[in-house]
Parts: sequence; structure tokens; C-alpha cells
Amino acid sequence: MNTYYAANLLIFAGVDIIACIALNLQFGVSGIVNFSFIVFQAAGAYAAAVLSMPPDTAADYSFQIYVGGYQLPFPLPWIGGAVVGGLLAIPIGIVVLRKLRSDYQAIALLVTSIIANTVITNARPFLNGAAGLALVPQPFQDQIDTATDTYQYVYIGLTAVAVAIVWFVAARIVNSPFGRSLRAMRDHELAATAIGKNPVALKMTIFIVGGAIAGLSGAILVGFLQVWAPSTWLYPETIILFAAVIVGGRGNNLGAILGALLVPVGFEEVTRLLIRLNIGPPNLIPALEWVLIGLFILGFLWFRPEGVRPEPRRVFEGSPEPEVERVRAA
Amino acid sequence: MSLFVAAFGFGLVSMSVIALAAVGFTMQFGITNMINLAYGEVMIASAYVAYYIDQTGISIWVAMIGGAIFGAVFSFLINRFIYAPFMRKGTANLGMVIVSLAVSLMIANLLLPIVGYYSVSYRERFGSIVRLGSVVLTVNQMLIIALAVVVMLAIHALLRYTRLGKAMRATAANPTLARSSGIPTQRVIDIVWLITGALCGLAGTVAGLDSETFAIASGAGFLITALAAAVLGGAGQPYGAMVGAVVIGMVTELSAAAWSPDYKQVVAFGILVVVMVLRPQGLLAKRGALAAAG
Repeated sequence: MNTYYAANLLIFAGVDIIACIALNLQFGVSGIVNFSFIVFQAAGAYAAAVLSMPPDTAADYSFQIYVGGYQLPFPLPWIGGAVVGGLLAIPIGIVVLRKLRSDYQAIALLVTSIIANTVITNARPFLNGAAGLALVPQPFQDQIDTATDTYQYVYIGLTAVAVAIVWFVAARIVNSPFGRSLRAMRDHELAATAIGKNPVALKMTIFIVGGAIAGLSGAILVGFLQVWAPSTWLYPETIILFAAVIVGGRGNNLGAILGALLVPVGFEEVTRLLIRLNIGPPNLIPALEWVLIGLFILGFLWFRPEGVRPEPRRVFEGSPEPEVERVRAA
Repeated sequence: MSLFVAAFGFGLVSMSVIALAAVGFTMQFGITNMINLAYGEVMIASAYVAYYIDQTGISIWVAMIGGAIFGAVFSFLINRFIYAPFMRKGTANLGMVIVSLAVSLMIANLLLPIVGYYSVSYRERFGSIVRLGSVVLTVNQMLIIALAVVVMLAIHALLRYTRLGKAMRATAANPTLARSSGIPTQRVIDIVWLITGALCGLAGTVAGLDSETFAIASGAGFLITALAAAVLGGAGQPYGAMVGAVVIGMVTELSAAAWSPDYKQVVAFGILVVVMVLRPQGLLAKRGALAAAG
């Protein structure tokens, strides 16, 4: 197994884990069906790209047109990606999360995802349209030769640090009083409102936090791939992440990580193996892979809606249930 | 100016296509409480069925019936074997949205290896031209408009003047009460899936004919315009969807003339955003034949 293959696998896994943790915060913990999740990842990727690239008038870059081009050093593009992902969540959240019923929210977000892709594809001067951005600089590429094994390890390390930070933040959120409010809202919005929780504020906050984490995942991905185009963030990509969170177990971060390793990473690897076997027409395997993802979602929602690793039942001191259990144990 | 008059003509055609799609979509939602995100893919599948019939030399207007029958049977089966069991199991509305999106993904990717990636078109996509003042339309486009008018009147008659229509409205308003009053709601819902599925198949074929070429990837666009019209009019309400179709069809075509045809869907989306911010219940809230479910 060569280093590049390992780096590829680990970095994709890291990006998928970060994305699944963010989606889990929104969907698993808070009950927001964010069908435009991939748009936030894309926004982060584009932001990181134009922050790190030279202006589009530069010699090697004149074949594409885009806004920005600030040549900022690492880690500013990654931070910028997260900030843009979070900022984008504000207008979308204001339109979608305030008045609409939850299933309307889901379809509104789905439509947003499709339309955002259409706009970016057609509005070429903004982010180079359908062709997308290429030759995105990698972090530290001036200091370390990107063709070496060392660089692959550095990038794996950077990704691992990002995963650790995101994991820490997500764990803090899930276990905090704020996280409890989110779960209360998810389980019974009316009851949560009745005890003084503001569901719109809760949803907006987690939508922005999730958007920022999604943006970071996009920034990491674009720094590694060095290209980003509308065809990489079509709306079915969001469905893969949903499949991951559903399979892994909604509402707990470990489940999200497990799902990320099982679904996006696992499928990627299986496809790689199957394509080598050359069965059927060239597009048969990828198409069947999507069918399988659909079956995964339906199968898990039917047989095991709580996922491989179910959300732990949280009981608190002073609540009646532990008392009962203590009595029973005694 | 003549550009806009021509665009007005195209607007009439567009609104007819959208109305056919949106009324079926909104009735599914209103009566069965199901936001069927696979609607666009069923449209495309039906359009392909009509395409294969069309390729054998049979007129597209006959092939269209094949598309409608396919759409009806396919929608019925999807509901029978996927949606209905999940609903009986007590899956929440949000869960059903995810289920239908998964179904949509599966249909599109099961079709891909069968029909391929490339765009196809029906044989009779042009037809001779008819001039009405400065409005220039093809015979096909005139027939599409006529078809839409006939179908809309038929839906109106069905909901208004038949026992079945009454049963549908009752089921939409309160399924439990309807069942207690002796309405066989299960059978009503089955029939609704057949009727709306036929509308979906018809709309898919007509949309394929109107857009000259279509491919699997067109499904998402079909869904968005139907959704926009349905939500604009007030989801679940057939008359609302008709009004929504008129607005969306006309505005998108006029904007295409004034601005760029690439942004047709974006304009539809813009209208949708304005509605969602200012009037989330839709234009015809709590009016029309069917009250919004839930």
C-alpha cells in the first residue's frame, strides 16, 4: 500500500467524519433535515480556494475566472472556509428555519441545494462556472515539496488535528445544557417552547455551527484535491452523508464517525475494487452504488432506525427513573 | 416587445406543463400527506416509457397514454410497497421525506444503466407552426395547452361533482373522521395514487415534449418547478397549484426573454423564497378543495 493511497483514504475519512459530525449535530441532535448540507461544504471549499489562490490575472491562473485571489497562508484559508460556511447559514436559516413546518424546511433546503448548484454552474465570472477551480494551492506547499511522502503525512496530521478539534467542540455541544435543549426541541418542540426554549434561536445556532464545520470540511478537501467544481457537490452527495448518520446512529457523535467510516469511505473502497473487475457497462457499478445507498437508508429506517450505535439514553440525577432503577437494583 | 409577446406564448405552454405536474404532486400531498420527492423521477421514467413507444413509430400523443399508465402503476406500487408500509409503521413526516428522497435516488440510478446518460427527444418534437397575432406556437404546443385545460377541468369535475371526489376531499380534511363515516379511505388513497401517478406520467411526457430533449438529470428540474408551483399555491391544494403554475410558468418564460434562459429555475426559486418568507401557507391558504394536511 503506497503512501499516496493511504493519505487519500485517511484524508477522505477525516473529511467525511467532520462532515458527518456536523450533519449529526443538525439532523441527529436537533432534528433539522438539512438537505442542502453539501452546499455549506462547497461554500467552505470555494472560500478556502479563492483565499489561497493568486488573483485570476496571475500567469498560470488566467484560464479561469473567479473572485478574490488573496494568496493567504495556511491556516487562514481553512478558517475562512469555516467562517463562510457559518455565514452562509445565516440567510438560508432566516428564510427556511423561522416559519416553515419541518418537512417544508427539508424540501426548501433540497431546492436550495439544487438551485445553488445551478447558479454557480451558470454564473461563470463568480467561481469559474461548470469548469470549477483548479490548481488550488496546498497548505505549506512553499515549505514542503507536495510530491513527497512527508507532505502526505503532514496533510494527514493537519486533517487529524481538525478532526480532533471538531470532535471536541461537538462533544462539548452535545453534553452541554445547550445540547440538552437541542434534544428537547428535537423530541418535542412544543414542550421545549413551553419551558422557555426558543426553537428558532436554537435551530439558527446549530445551523450556523454545523455550517461552519461543514465549511471546514470543504476547505480540507479542496486543499487536498486542489480542484473544486459544481459536479462535486450535487445534492445526492448530501444523501450519502444522511445515509452515514442514519446507519451509524443518529444523535451521537461516535455513531456519526462510525457511519462516516461505513458509508462514504466504505463505499468508495468497494467501488474501487469492483470497478477493477470490469463488470457490465462502465457506469453500471457507480449507478448501482447509489441504488445500494438508497436501500441502506430504507433498510435502516425500517429495521433499525436508531442505527448501528444508538443514541445513549440519558438519565439525570433527581429524575424519577434512576430512583426506580436503584430500587430495582437493591 | 415582440420578444415578450413570443415569451407570453411560451409562458402559456410552460404553465400548462407545470400545472399538469403540480396538480398531481399537490394532490398526493394533500390527500395522502406524503411529500413525494420521487415525483420528478417518476415523471422522467414515464417520459422514457413514452419515448420507447414513440420510437416504434406510434404517435407521441398515443405514447403519452402509455406514459400515463406507467406513471399510474409505478406510483401506485411505490406507495403500496414503500411509502404505505413506512407510514403504517408510524414514520414521522420528516422520515418520510428522507424515504422519498432515497426512493428518488434509487429510481434515477436504476434507470441510468437502462436508458443511458445521453439526452433523447421524441420524433415529433417540432410540428407545424401556428400564428395567432405575434404569438407563434407549434401545433404540439397548442395541443399541450388544450390537454392541460381539459385535464384541469376534469380534475375540477372529479373533485366537485363526483362521490369519489367528495371522498377524496373528506380524506384530505380528516382521514380518521372520514373512515369513521364509512369512507373506505384506504381505497380512496390507492385511487389517488393511480390518478396522481397518471398525471405525473402525463406531465413527464409533456415536459419531455416541451423541453425538446430530456435525460435522467432533468428529473430534479421537473421536481423543482412542480414543487415551486405547489408551494406557491399552498401545498395540498389543487386549485392553488393551478394558480401557482400560471404564475411560475409565465414569470419564468418572461424572465427568460428579459434575462437568460439558464436562470429559469432560479427565478422559480426566487418566487418560492419570497412566498416562504412572506406567506408560507401559500397564496390560497385554507381555500380550494383540499385543506393543507397536518
